[in-house]
Amino acid sequence: MAGSALKLLSHRVTTVTLGPATRYDAGVLTVSATDARRALAHAAIAECRVSWASPGDSARIVKVLDTVEPRTKAPGGGGIFPGFLGSATSQGHGETHVLSGVAVIAAGYLPRAQEAVIDMSGPGAALTPFGSTHNLVVEFTPAEGAPWENVDAAVRLGVLKLSALIAEAALGAPPDDVVGLPAIPHTRASGLPRIGAITNLQTQGTFKDVFVRGKSFGAASPILIDPNELHDGAIVSGQFGHPALKNPTYMHQNHPVVAELRRRDGKDLEFAGLILAPEPVEVEQKERVAAQAAALCAAAGFQGVVITKEGGGNADADISLKIDALVDFGIGSVGLFAEMAGAEGTAPSLVVPPERGTALISTGNYDEVVRLPAVARALGGATVDVAGAAATAEMELPTAVLYCSLSPLGAGRLTCREAA
Amino acid sequence: MSRVVHYLNQFFAGFGGENAASTPPGVKPGAIGPGKKLQELFGTDHEIVATVYCGDDLAAASPEAVATILDLVAQQRPDIVLAGPASTSGRYGVACARVAAGAARAGIAAVASMHPDNPGLDDAGAAVVIASGASVRDMGTSLERLARAARKRLAGESLTEADGRIGRIPRRNVLVDRNAAGRAVDLLLARLRGEDAPAEVPIPRFDHVTPAPPVADAGKATIALVTESGLVPVGNPGRLESARATRWLRYSIEGKATAAAGEYASVHGGYSTVWANQDPNRLLPLDVARELEREGAIGVLHGEYLVTTGNGTTVPNARRFGVEWAAELRRAGISAAILTAT
Repeated sequence: MAGSALKLLSHRVTTVTLGPATRYDAGVLTVSATDARRALAHAAIAECRVSWASPGDSARIVKVLDTVEPRTKAPGGGGIFPGFLGSATSQGHGETHVLSGVAVIAAGYLPRAQEAVIDMSGPGAALTPFGSTHNLVVEFTPAEGAPWENVDAAVRLGVLKLSALIAEAALGAPPDDVVGLPAIPHTRASGLPRIGAITNLQTQGTFKDVFVRGKSFGAASPILIDPNELHDGAIVSGQFGHPALKNPTYMHQNHPVVAELRRRDGKDLEFAGLILAPEPVEVEQKERVAAQAAALCAAAGFQGVVITKEGGGNADADISLKIDALVDFGIGSVGLFAEMAGAEGTAPSLVVPPERGTALISTGNYDEVVRLPAVARALGGATVDVAGAAATAEMELPTAVLYCSLSPLGAGRLTCREAA
Repeated sequence: MSRVVHYLNQFFAGFGGENAASTPPGVKPGAIGPGKKLQELFGTDHEIVATVYCGDDLAAASPEAVATILDLVAQQRPDIVLAGPASTSGRYGVACARVAAGAARAGIAAVASMHPDNPGLDDAGAAVVIASGASVRDMGTSLERLARAARKRLAGESLTEADGRIGRIPRRNVLVDRNAAGRAVDLLLARLRGEDAPAEVPIPRFDHVTPAPPVADAGKATIALVTESGLVPVGNPGRLESARATRWLRYSIEGKATAAAGEYASVHGGYSTVWANQDPNRLLPLDVARELEREGAIGVLHGEYLVTTGNGTTVPNARRFGVEWAAELRRAGISAAILTAT
């Protein structure tokens, strides 16, 4: 698979604050609320507010939508988030600046968005990747009469602009870490198994959609993509269902399976490439996509594949059908599933298991209840409706509501074990 | 001596069969019916202090009835609750499972007894279920196995397959050292090397439902509309969940010719509801059902529809809804139902 080298220059953020000008200096990131308002300015948005929530804070972020890691390639973005900020050309080469330890989080009401919660301290914080990042929370008030679809699009674009703008503050600073990501060669003679990945994207209409190079991936066929493109924001999420089982933009920028295959490339495997596949709603379409993705794996010379999903029960089929389809090509695969085993962990774990494969990894049980303590401050909304509680109150929630806690891309350390 | 409470259905408690299936929850002192044999097996070690009973229709369809049963059980301050044997009897099995699950949740040791094919098995939550025989003919051996299990449980020993334990052992979330992506690559490479590395998720085995035979004379049938589409009156007065439903609701369609836009809306969180809300008959085909009723193609349309949300619903909850709907419709004299799914 062809591609070109990308250099990631990371700037570690240790302290965050709001101030008159957006700047980055020796780990201290200051964000200007005026800059944020400018980034979010849009006919569909009446007003926007920004605030920080940091690890250890007695704070809860509710109604979480998308999450983005601040990145830029040059002043004005320089091609980051292609199709949104830059032209829809393939990126993934040159240099990309990353503000690490920071996430920009949109929070607020959108139709079809399911309640999603991030706690910054206590037992909930350990279960979400965003309990350990400094989070710039963007709240918004829609313009009167603006269609919700426009509000959604405006918030998405605004948060991407803001993320690039913040990252630009570090362009002149010396990086804390530099990582070279070479292009993936077509063939090698290492004798190591050639392992690829299939990343299913939940593309099921407005508010449950994922964008590739700026365009909805809903009607697409599976594609082979240079994994380096993900670092530059080729995948942007507009998917607000199943909070624990969602893959926000941040997770695609830091794709855990891609990172693992990169880390082991040349050691015990050859990283053979990445395939993106949509998750349609109709069974026939799921079967068609599975067959196409399996054929693409064979054409790309994969010997083994890690398959991931996004979303709830129906998305189990999008993994299982591919595991089964790959058997015909003699290609082994493993699927990452969240278990839907009921609050007591005794229900069947999967909705649609594979028929011809058994290599399944568990990212934890979606239904197990977690008790969250009361917090001093809530961002994103005043209530958590699924708990029937004020957003700051003590509450019991199924793990399903904790944002990215069962990360289908494999970011988390949760799994399920039989109780003794 | 430990205090034992035994749960039985109306038949084994001596109230009668199907005609008594709506017997309300109640309690009798000491052991009755199959409980007498259990008491014999316990000898003087453990005492069945009371028998709690309920009609199967009620116990399988009404959470309130189960709550009452659990109250009656708790009043006896038992050390253990034993339920069944329910053999293959579906509603009785569901009742036994839910009583045992509720007791376990309340911190009371519980053991239910039923056949491995009983649909109640998945409702037992964290409670222990011991295999019984398939029918009443096996009652003797089923009770012996239940008594042995109860003795072990009371002694604080864990029960395994060797004791006849069936059903699932609870799975709990745990944090491990490596992330799921790393574990996935490990498992894949091990399998490619031909090693029999263990997977992390057991493959579930789902039962297959045999469709009921066609309605003999639809023109004389009372037909119900039931749906998992999340369609409720606007404002969602019953607060039906948009996902992971734990309950179902009923709404009257008496005298309504159609499911009018603006009057109904779907709260389902799993699909775009725009088209459905424009014409709710797309989810609840009330308009055409009324036409069929007028034409005489069906007899009568039932006066209310049953609804839940089928989105991330656990199998035990979905199964419970099915059992409850079936009991409900049977009680209402319905001969067939149209289930619209989304």
